[in-house]
Amino acid sequence: MAQIELRGVSARYPSGGQVLDGVSLVVDKGEVVSIIGPSGSGKSTLLRVLVGLLPPSAGEVWLDGSRLDYADRKALTAARARLAIVFQQFNLFQNMTALDNVTVTPVKIRREPKASARARGEALLRRVGLGDKLGAYPDELSGGQQQRVALARALALGPEILLLDEVTSALDPEMVNEVLDAIRDLANEGITMLIVSHEMAFVREVSDRVVMMADGAVVETGPPGQIFDAPRTERCREFVSKILRH
Amino acid sequence: MDYTFQWGVALRYLPDLLQGAWVTFHLTFIGFWTGLVVAVFLAVGQLYGSVRLRRAISAYVVFFTNTPSLVTAFFIFYGLPEIGILWSPYVCVLVNLVLNAGAFLTDVIRGGVASVRVAEMEAAETLGFSMLQKIRYVIVPHVAKVLYAPISNLYIVFILGSALAAIFGVEELTGTAFNIASETFRTIEIYSLAAAIYVVMTVVASVVLALVGRLAFRVRARVL
Repeated sequence: MAQIELRGVSARYPSGGQVLDGVSLVVDKGEVVSIIGPSGSGKSTLLRVLVGLLPPSAGEVWLDGSRLDYADRKALTAARARLAIVFQQFNLFQNMTALDNVTVTPVKIRREPKASARARGEALLRRVGLGDKLGAYPDELSGGQQQRVALARALALGPEILLLDEVTSALDPEMVNEVLDAIRDLANEGITMLIVSHEMAFVREVSDRVVMMADGAVVETGPPGQIFDAPRTERCREFVSKILRH
Repeated sequence: MDYTFQWGVALRYLPDLLQGAWVTFHLTFIGFWTGLVVAVFLAVGQLYGSVRLRRAISAYVVFFTNTPSLVTAFFIFYGLPEIGILWSPYVCVLVNLVLNAGAFLTDVIRGGVASVRVAEMEAAETLGFSMLQKIRYVIVPHVAKVLYAPISNLYIVFILGSALAAIFGVEELTGTAFNIASETFRTIEIYSLAAAIYVVMTVVASVVLALVGRLAFRVRARVL
């Protein structure tokens, strides 16, 4: 059954032109779907639409068979409780320690008991290799460590769907693998994931399906083998040949 | 130099000067921190209020930040009795201090709120924070940390600026020194002592504020 369904979604930023142009996409439960494409193709915008940071100007978004009403704050909050996003620039709360970043939403927003949220937060940070950084503030952590805190923060909410927005593009090359390893583990656990990434080897390895976007529209969708080895569209072939050449 | 220092005369008046310093302390403390509370409301009004409210607050801020504090004090001291409001010199100076601090701090706080990182606000939004929760967990801690140092510096400036109260007969440190110097004619000794007390007051205030900032807001100010 489709867990996420986009039907002809278009979106535009208040300051600029159209960034999504009639995108339709279905993601099944437990599926790992990666979105690739050149810069400015609308990949990140698609994730922003899904979490409600940018309401679509046209089209519909459906989650588990229910249409998402962006004008209904309550419905949006309920939908967000099932989704979690990890941003390219981490977006950690700078005034909070790593552990507080992970536990603030469960404790302060969802009113979970502090002790259990803390225990879970500690376990998650240990799982991403940051058991010794619980009390560190973001500005005391490297980029890779901050990104792993962001990942732990997203997982602390027990999301059904995890959205990853170019989570390695702001990292030094030596930091990339530590984040990718953590994501690889999650992909093996059956959580539905929508990954925007430029790490093509990683995309090929973890994805059930790859979506190639250009100019705000979906150009081609298919299994990694099709997209990378035998693309059916000229635009996809051109993009893949350019990036695989490097 | 023919001048003969007579520190003994001046030191006899040390208790009076310390009494004046105490008046300086509570005048500035009450005035400045009340001004901060006023400024928080005005900054919120300026950021989120109606156009008319924003204009009114801007007019107040522009007037008080571009007029010497002494001039606005004259308005209050001599102007208010004309409309039937009779306040003691202490209250007049205190109100002037609140109005000036309020205006300067409104500008400072508005800038601090505007500097909250969009990324953190977006993270809070996607995590399901309400507006009040965003203010409490994202905006206030950020603003407190970013603005703590400039507000602390402004507080020191206001301690020194409170000396204008002497002109209106308030016996704070400078006013007390002025009166003692008039009686003893040991002007240099008395004002030297007053200056030393100001230095001690401002250094102590700086150290206390730096410690509070370090403990409460992780502001990495130098303590000494």
